[in-house]
Amino acid sequence: MEEKHIMEREPVTHEASAASLTDVAAIAPAREERIFLLLSIFIGIISGLLVVSFRMAIDWLQVLLLGSAPAPHQRRLFIVPAVAGLIVAVLTRYVFPKVRGSGVNQTKAALYINNGYISFRTVIGKFVLSALAIGSGHSLGPEDPSLQIGAGVASLISRRTGMSRERLRLFAPIGAAAGLAAAFNAPISAILFVIEEVIGQWNAAVLGSIVLGAVSSVVVARGFWGSEPMFRIPTVTFDSRELLAYTVLGVFGGIASLMFAKALEYLRPLLRKQPAWAQMLQPGLAGLLVGGIGYFGLPQVMGAGYGAIDQAMHAQFAWKMLLLLALFKIIATTLSFSSGTPGGMFAPTLFIGAMLGASIGTFEKLYFPQLHLTGSLGSYALVGMGVLFAAFLRAPLTSVFMVLEVSGNYSIIVPVILANTIAYVISRSFQPMPVFEMLTHQDGLYLPSMEEQREESELHIEDAMHAVVAPVLQGREKIADAMQSLAQYSDLKGDSVVLVHCGDGLWYAATYEELQGIFAKTDEADPAVSLETRLGKERTPVLFPDLPLASTLPHFKRWPLLPITNRAMWGALEGAVSMSDVLKRYQGR
Amino acid sequence: MSKTEISLAKRRLLLRDSLTFLILTAITVVLFFVTLFLFRSFTSHRAVLAVRWSGRGRDALKAGRPQEAIIALRTGLSYAPGTRSYELLLAQALEAAGRTEEASNYFMGLWTTQPGDGFINLELARLSARKNDPTNAIKYYRASIYGTWEGDGVVRRREVRLELARYLIAQHDLNAARIELLIAAGNSPSSPELSSTLADLLTQAGDLSDAFTNYNRVLKQDSKNQEALQGAGRAAYRLGNFAVAHSLLERALEAKASPSRGKNLPGELETMLENSKRILELRPSGKLRPSERVSRILADSAIAKKRFDGCMLKFDPAEGLPPELLQLQARWASEDSMSRRTLLRSLARQDAAVQLVFDTELQTGQFCGAPSGDDALLLLLAKSPEVMER
Repeated sequence: MEEKHIMEREPVTHEASAASLTDVAAIAPAREERIFLLLSIFIGIISGLLVVSFRMAIDWLQVLLLGSAPAPHQRRLFIVPAVAGLIVAVLTRYVFPKVRGSGVNQTKAALYINNGYISFRTVIGKFVLSALAIGSGHSLGPEDPSLQIGAGVASLISRRTGMSRERLRLFAPIGAAAGLAAAFNAPISAILFVIEEVIGQWNAAVLGSIVLGAVSSVVVARGFWGSEPMFRIPTVTFDSRELLAYTVLGVFGGIASLMFAKALEYLRPLLRKQPAWAQMLQPGLAGLLVGGIGYFGLPQVMGAGYGAIDQAMHAQFAWKMLLLLALFKIIATTLSFSSGTPGGMFAPTLFIGAMLGASIGTFEKLYFPQLHLTGSLGSYALVGMGVLFAAFLRAPLTSVFMVLEVSGNYSIIVPVILANTIAYVISRSFQPMPVFEMLTHQDGLYLPSMEEQREESELHIEDAMHAVVAPVLQGREKIADAMQSLAQYSDLKGDSVVLVHCGDGLWYAATYEELQGIFAKTDEADPAVSLETRLGKERTPVLFPDLPLASTLPHFKRWPLLPITNRAMWGALEGAVSMSDVLKRYQGR
Repeated sequence: MSKTEISLAKRRLLLRDSLTFLILTAITVVLFFVTLFLFRSFTSHRAVLAVRWSGRGRDALKAGRPQEAIIALRTGLSYAPGTRSYELLLAQALEAAGRTEEASNYFMGLWTTQPGDGFINLELARLSARKNDPTNAIKYYRASIYGTWEGDGVVRRREVRLELARYLIAQHDLNAARIELLIAAGNSPSSPELSSTLADLLTQAGDLSDAFTNYNRVLKQDSKNQEALQGAGRAAYRLGNFAVAHSLLERALEAKASPSRGKNLPGELETMLENSKRILELRPSGKLRPSERVSRILADSAIAKKRFDGCMLKFDPAEGLPPELLQLQARWASEDSMSRRTLLRSLARQDAAVQLVFDTELQTGQFCGAPSGDDALLLLLAKSPEVMER
């Protein structure tokens, strides 16, 4: 069976170290806790520096390989991406086999399959090959590789500091957020993306460290680039009359993202089915075709395309040109990515969105002057970026915050939410599987789908809870009184449950048999002693109806029945659940 | 483990962690300097490329190769995004290349960040004018006038105001143009060139009086200025100041007589000169000696009577005359006794006779078509302010 190329294999050296880790935990139990946050800062700083170097390397390579002013009909546009593609293919096959793809799924795979392990070689390979591919003009972006580089740095540092397996797994998202934050120069979006797309949940244990890592890396990146976002944001204006125009943008954004996703869904597996020698030629061939697009008139689609995004935001293209650029960027990125060339899809997604947004904005302003669309074209381009992000990458929350963070203007939130929602719904309706999940399936992996996880409705205790039918005794009653009270229930058997309400408001779930045992011993003890004294200090756990149903499971080993109480009235009984109630509820879903 | 062993292990662990953080710090410092080196080298290289490409763009624009300039300036801007001077050059190149829509978009993009910039507003005004959008054109012209300018803002604002006036004249909004010109004239220093320009534009805007004033300003500083003499003469003639017109046009002719210039005035001015000369001969000015004045009144009356008689022949007596002509007919009948002696005796009768001449020319001009010859000149005189002059 073919080795799954995106999966890292953790070195088998952990048997010995596991023992030493146990020793460390015994000697200094709070050590990991203490150095965890400090390491997050180091991860952030180092990731930030690496990402700045990575971006510089791309820019340098671009100038060196494509010249300072790539323009149509320059022969090097044809030659450079093709030759670079061949070099990347050879190095990918023989030196850095794990660097194919964007980096997001690779990080997820490392997190879920390999305890967050990403090898140093992969980090180096990702850095070098992605820089070469993007710098030579392949239509890919640096953000996703930055995410993987950050995760790789985190993995390396955490391994070297002798962290436990549990902690090792937590470090990858920290590095991923740090890498992405530096690449985006937008920490909130990076944090949200990692939560939304990589770890899939708001994990309090790791959230603080993710924030710390992301902020550290952004501080480093801004030390070099300044606090400006990746592209110069023009004045963003919005008038509520423009909502209709943004609705149209949402619809077209949804359609464009569908085209992009379908193209990848078709081409990538087709190319991956080819024999090994043919796969070696694919990045070169993709480079030739992408270079061809540049040679015959659209060099803007080559590379990450930030310059063109900036130009589109500042209304430097006519609407037809913008539309052409969006279309050819979809084609170029599909070719580059499907060929296995390492590089990300964030920048191309933003590029397509910006071009589409600016194109629709220009068209509407030009042909529908009666609508009085007063918003700047930059606003349309920005919303377009968010739209594609939401619809193609399926990260709706990140998409909204990314636009807000990049523009620094909250007045645009209404059109962003409107257009993003429309595009997201269209994309979901016609392409149920998110693109990252589709790519992992194509690679033969089945990682958790974050979109499914987000939408999974969790069962709560109230879903299995029933009214209390068990006898209820007061814990303060004397044993003799309790015996009399219990005697009223004639149909009790040995395993029947009796709930005892103790004086502190807590409950005790006893079996009839257990109580009989206690009553039997009353002759020997003081008959004035209360029932709760004889029950000891142990009480059933305090559970409320809104807690997850699964939270009851660990307690059934000890308790036959769990009383569920009211959050507003301490100790007031709402109902009860038994093991069979819980199982029936799960089976009946 | 014994307590001593635990203590030793703890120390070892502490030492190991300290060493780890020391190494991490060292790696961070080394990485920082490597990154800084890369960053600085590329930043300076970008700056060099930006200057090189924008220079090429500027040269190409100056040489009239806007397409080439666009490519070069876009490249320059990709290495120095947001550089104002490059952006303005690019916008100008787009405009020069005839890519009006792109140029408009580009200038609009610049305008959103600097809505008060005089130059950007001016370019937007020009583009709007080119797109036949007078509302926006005027809006941006005005914004440009009140906007900020680098360097000599007073001069630039005046130039824009004059450009706006030219645009308003082209749009046939003469009153608005006149107002702009008068503001420009009020804010301008005394310069022959500027006064001449203002006078020309005021003439086009139909404000002959202010045009005449401005031509005179020029003549005060350069009494032989041919354009000013002709313009002032033309304005004076149209204003009905025939004596001034004649004098100015005579001076224009004299100035033309210099060897370096042609001897002839433009045909229109030649006619004006001749007409003004004849008008001065016909004019029964109150400043003349009484006998001379009466002679002219009698001569003018003869011309006017002939015109009136000729006009009356065009009407069928059976259909009757318009009331205005009937009234004139009655006045001419009462003036039958008009003689040199009676006129010399009464200044009031002289004035009445002059009024009858002018009324005749005005009414016949209305009912019997445009006059020619001396009748036409008497009509001009009748319409001129000099008619009030005794």
